Amino acid sequence: MTVKLDGTTAEVLNADPLVIKNQKSHFHIHSYGGWSKFFVGLREGKLLATRCTNAECDEKSLWLPPRCECADCWHATEWVEAPTVGKVYTHSTVLYPGAPFRASTPCPLISVEIEGVCTKLMSYLKEGDPEIGMPVKAVFNTENPTNTILDLSWVPA
Amino acid sequence: MIRFGPRNLRIPRFEKPVYVVAGGLTDFRKKYPEKNSSQLCTEALRMAVEENDLKVSPEEVRRMVNWCVYSQFADHFGDQLLAAAKIHDYLGFDPLGNIEVKTGGATGGSSILSAAQAVASGYADCVPVIGWERMDEVPTKVGNAYIASAACKDFESELGWMYAAYYALMAQRYQYENKVPRETLAQIACKNHEYACYSPYSQNPGKYTIEDVLKNEVVADPLSFLECCVMSVGAAVLFLADEETAYKMTDQPIRLTAICGGTHTLRTADRRHMPILLLPNETEETYKDYFSHERTEWPGFSSFLASRMAAYLAYNMAGINDPVEDFDILETHDAFTISDIQTYEDIGLRPYGRGREFIESGDAYFEGRLPTNLSGGLIGTMHAVGATGIWQVVELLWQLQGKWDKFHADPERWTRYGKKKPDDFRSLQVEGAKRACAISHAGTGSHVTCAILEKP
Repeated sequence: MTVKLDGTTAEVLNADPLVIKNQKSHFHIHSYGGWSKFFVGLREGKLLATRCTNAECDEKSLWLPPRCECADCWHATEWVEAPTVGKVYTHSTVLYPGAPFRASTPCPLISVEIEGVCTKLMSYLKEGDPEIGMPVKAVFNTENPTNTILDLSWVPA
Repeated sequence: MIRFGPRNLRIPRFEKPVYVVAGGLTDFRKKYPEKNSSQLCTEALRMAVEENDLKVSPEEVRRMVNWCVYSQFADHFGDQLLAAAKIHDYLGFDPLGNIEVKTGGATGGSSILSAAQAVASGYADCVPVIGWERMDEVPTKVGNAYIASAACKDFESELGWMYAAYYALMAQRYQYENKVPRETLAQIACKNHEYACYSPYSQNPGKYTIEDVLKNEVVADPLSFLECCVMSVGAAVLFLADEETAYKMTDQPIRLTAICGGTHTLRTADRRHMPILLLPNETEETYKDYFSHERTEWPGFSSFLASRMAAYLAYNMAGINDPVEDFDILETHDAFTISDIQTYEDIGLRPYGRGREFIESGDAYFEGRLPTNLSGGLIGTMHAVGATGIWQVVELLWQLQGKWDKFHADPERWTRYGKKKPDDFRSLQVEGAKRACAISHAGTGSHVTCAILEKP
C-alpha cells in the first residue's frame, strides 16, 4: 500500500515557534425548525409571534422571539400576528461589528417594546437616529430576503 | 412574570467544609504563540504546586488528586474539541476521572462550583480546577464573532456579531433610568487599568485620565475600547480540598464558605419582569420609591437577575448581612464599565439605582471600604475566558493568605514574563483581609456565580 499526500501545504507564518495557517471553509446546514414560520413570515411582510394555548397558564402575552412551547408550562403555543408598531426600549449604534456582520455601519441596534408582547425583540433601525421611547414601525425585507433576522427592521413611525 | 415555587429558592448547603489551598497563573497576553495550551496549563499548575508554600511536594500532590475539573469557554477558539482530555493526559492525570464545564464567561466560576460540589459531597477530597483560553488563533473581528455566537444565533447574533453592542443596549437603558455621568463610568476603567500596572500577569495596564477614556474610540455607543475587557491567552489553576486534606497540604487554607449560581435568559430580549428579589441588607422599604416613569420594571435591562440570584443564595449560605461591611475585598467580572455598576447593585453594594455611589464614594478603591478588582480586572489584566473566574479566586486566595506581595512585588515575577517591575510600583496587599467575594459572569447575564472565601 502506498499513501500519497494531496499536495496542499499549510502556509508558514512564523518559523520559531512554528506558526501555520489552517484553512477553514465549511458551512453549516441550519434548520429553524418550528421557528421557520417566523422567518417565512418576514419574507411575506408579517411579524409572527406565539401565545400559550394552555388556559391554566398565567402568561397570556405574546412571545417574540416566538416559542413553539411555553416557557412557563411547556404546553404548545399558537401563532398570532403581532402589532407592527412599537417603541424603542433601548438602542446602541455599532461602529465595530464582528466579522460576519451583513449590514453597513454605523448601525443602530434597537430593542423594541410592543404592546401585548412580554419580551423586547432585538432589531435595528433602518432609517433615522434612535431615541428611547421613539415610536417605530416594522419594515420587511421582502425584495431580496437574507432569510435571517436581518429581514426585519424598523423606521420612525 | 417569573414566579418562584417554595423550593426554588432553597439555600444550598455543603455536607463537608470546602477549602482553597493553592493557586497558579500564567501571564496573560493578546497573542501567545510561544506556548501551546497544554503548556500554559502545565505552567499554571506548576506555580500552584511549587510556589504556594505547600507542606507536600509536587509529587505528593499528584498522588493526592482524585478528580479534576477543566474550564474552557469555547472549543472553536482553540479549534480542538475535547481539549480537556488532551490537557488531562498532558498533565499526567489519567486515568483519574474529570469533567469539563462550560457556562460562557462564567465558566471559571462554574468550574469552581463543580469542584466544590465534588469536595462538599465527599466524592473527592483533592481537586485541581484547570482553566485556560486561547483566543489568538483568529483575527479580533472573527474573535468577536465567535464570542457573539454565544448569543442566540437565530434572533440576535446576526445583529452586530458583537457582545459589546448587546451590553451597550443595556448601558443606554441603564443610563436612561439612572443618568450616571460618563465620568463615573470612565473612573472604573481608569481604576482597573491602573491596578493592572501592579500585576506582572496583566495584558492591558495603563495610567489613563478620565479624559483619555472619554475621548477613546467608541466600539458600540456609549462603550469605548478602554471600557471593554481584553481578549486573552493564558491559564489559571486552583486546588480545592476537604478540611483534612487542606491542612495536610498547607498551614494557610482558605475556606470556601459558599459558591452559588444563578441564570437568566441568553437573549436579553426575553427577560420578563418580577418583584425585586431582596438581599439580607434590603427590605421592601428600600424600593418603595424605586419605580418611576423611566424605571418601569425589574430586572429590565438595567439589572442582572442571575447576579442577584447568585448573591441571594451565597449570602444566605455564608451568613453575609451587609456585603460592604462583611467583605474586605471583591473581584467583579468587569467585562464592561457599565456592567460593573449594574453588578454593584445586583450584589447589594448599593440599592438598585445607586450603584454609581460605590465608585464615586471611593469605596471601590484600594484605600476604600471594599477594594474591588485590585487584580486589574478584565478591563486591565485579562479575560482568557475559561481561566477568568479561576484567576479571580487565585488572586483572592493570595490576598487572604497575605501573599499578594510574594506573587506581585518580587522583581523576578516580572522578568520571568519579559517585563520590568515599574518604578512607581505599589503594594495592593489588603492588610488583615479576612473575607472576600468573587463574581463570575456570562452572556448578558446568562450565568453568574458568587463565591465567598473566608480565613478560618
